Amino acid sequence: MSTLSPPVSERDHVVGPADARVTLVEYGDFECPFCGALHPVVQAARKSFGGNLRFAFRHFPLRSSHPHALASAKAAEAAGEQGKFWEMHDRLYRRQTELTDTDLERHARELGLDVDRFRGSLGARAHEVRIREDLASASQSGAKGTPSLFINGEFYEGPLEREAIFAALARAALAVVP
Amino acid sequence: MAQHRMSSEAAQTAAREIGRLTILRLTVYYVMAGILIMCLSALLPLGSIGPIPAEPPADMQGAIEWFKGQVAMFPKGAPVWLDALFQMIAAFLLVLPLAFVYVRTRTRLKFDHSLIQTVIVLPIVVTAILVVVRDSLALAFSLAGIVAAVRFRNTLKESGDAVYIFGSIGIGFASGIHAISVAGVLSVVFVVVELALWKFDFSAEFERTFARLCLPSGADMADVPGYRDEPAPAGNGAGQAHPDRDGAGRSALLRIYVDQVDAARPKIEAVLERDAKHWTLEQIVAGTGNTPELTYRVRARKSVGLDALREHLLRDAAPHVVAADAPES
Repeated sequence: MSTLSPPVSERDHVVGPADARVTLVEYGDFECPFCGALHPVVQAARKSFGGNLRFAFRHFPLRSSHPHALASAKAAEAAGEQGKFWEMHDRLYRRQTELTDTDLERHARELGLDVDRFRGSLGARAHEVRIREDLASASQSGAKGTPSLFINGEFYEGPLEREAIFAALARAALAVVP
Repeated sequence: MAQHRMSSEAAQTAAREIGRLTILRLTVYYVMAGILIMCLSALLPLGSIGPIPAEPPADMQGAIEWFKGQVAMFPKGAPVWLDALFQMIAAFLLVLPLAFVYVRTRTRLKFDHSLIQTVIVLPIVVTAILVVVRDSLALAFSLAGIVAAVRFRNTLKESGDAVYIFGSIGIGFASGIHAISVAGVLSVVFVVVELALWKFDFSAEFERTFARLCLPSGADMADVPGYRDEPAPAGNGAGQAHPDRDGAGRSALLRIYVDQVDAARPKIEAVLERDAKHWTLEQIVAGTGNTPELTYRVRARKSVGLDALREHLLRDAAPHVVAADAPES
């Protein structure tokens, strides 16, 4: 079984308490329809598990099949620079058919970001480096496609259905003594 | 103990909103459809309908003669195909409000798009069949034979959906025998009754329905001797499952993941006693290989709300509860 490497750290985009019983990591691509279908499940899990769940997102843009994936990942990073990574993350997943450069700028505007700053930081080297690091960690962790999930550091091999994922998360949470 | 008393608040929350726009749309639609049907029936001399015409001849001259013969029936009588067309248009116009009411009264989970298409097309087909059969006993027997030979088997999402099928057949039947007024009345009455039942959530809660129908005014189930002693199906004896008709979003099926059923259950139920208006334990999953789960049908108190109730479960029943999922949401 593959293990997450490197483990979740301060460099990751994380939502949820650090002492949560379960940490769920997603390697995702904003243009991937399966990731889009998984998004509401993850949202529901965050709501259902509350403080028991910490969720981290790492980029895995599949550039060969998704032409807008890399630009979208950079857009999320650029939004993160202005403190709105998760807002942009949610928006991109909800609107997977609107990922052109014009759309990304519109998303930034509608999220209340400083659009000039957003546009300027889209090509920032730091974002590219971060995305490349995420890609390297995916390969190191054994993630071969999107979405790839890791629950408490272990690769999740089950079906990407709500019930199965929730049961796996619950099992992981129960395996941890609070 | 969870509250069972019927109150005006409960009645209000159970009610669903039928906006003025809905009523206005339906009224305007019926008026317009009525005018259209009356205009059509005035234009068509339906008093004497011609015989079922033979096939038009294949040659051009013969076809022209056949068409002239059809037109010549005016104004004494309408050709049967025109009569059938008129009946089918009438059936179509009168069944559309049923489809509208179906959409209005169903949740996304219960919605069945194929049923809507069936409800719309069915009366047209029924009308056509009746126009063909007319008064012929032989054709009627043939039809019965055909229907008997074909097996129609389909599972409907909701038992109530069958009523829409019957309503649709009724409209088609009435239209097919030139009883358009009956079809119109059926359509209006169906729409009104269906909307009223939906709005008042009639019979959704046993206690409320029983109190309303069988007890003196102002009394409730608490006044029925022995009612409290009835064995509860599960849980605290709340004894009722509120269906997932939750206009206010306070009713839900909650799947709660726990470490140990026996340890978690009292804590969960203490929270439900406090924060839920009604609740029923529906299922317990436990045993080797399974993550222990408790499934409850819950209606949160108005002052608390479903989201807060779920948060309270995680907080107050910790560490036994790890998640409270609302899978229908």
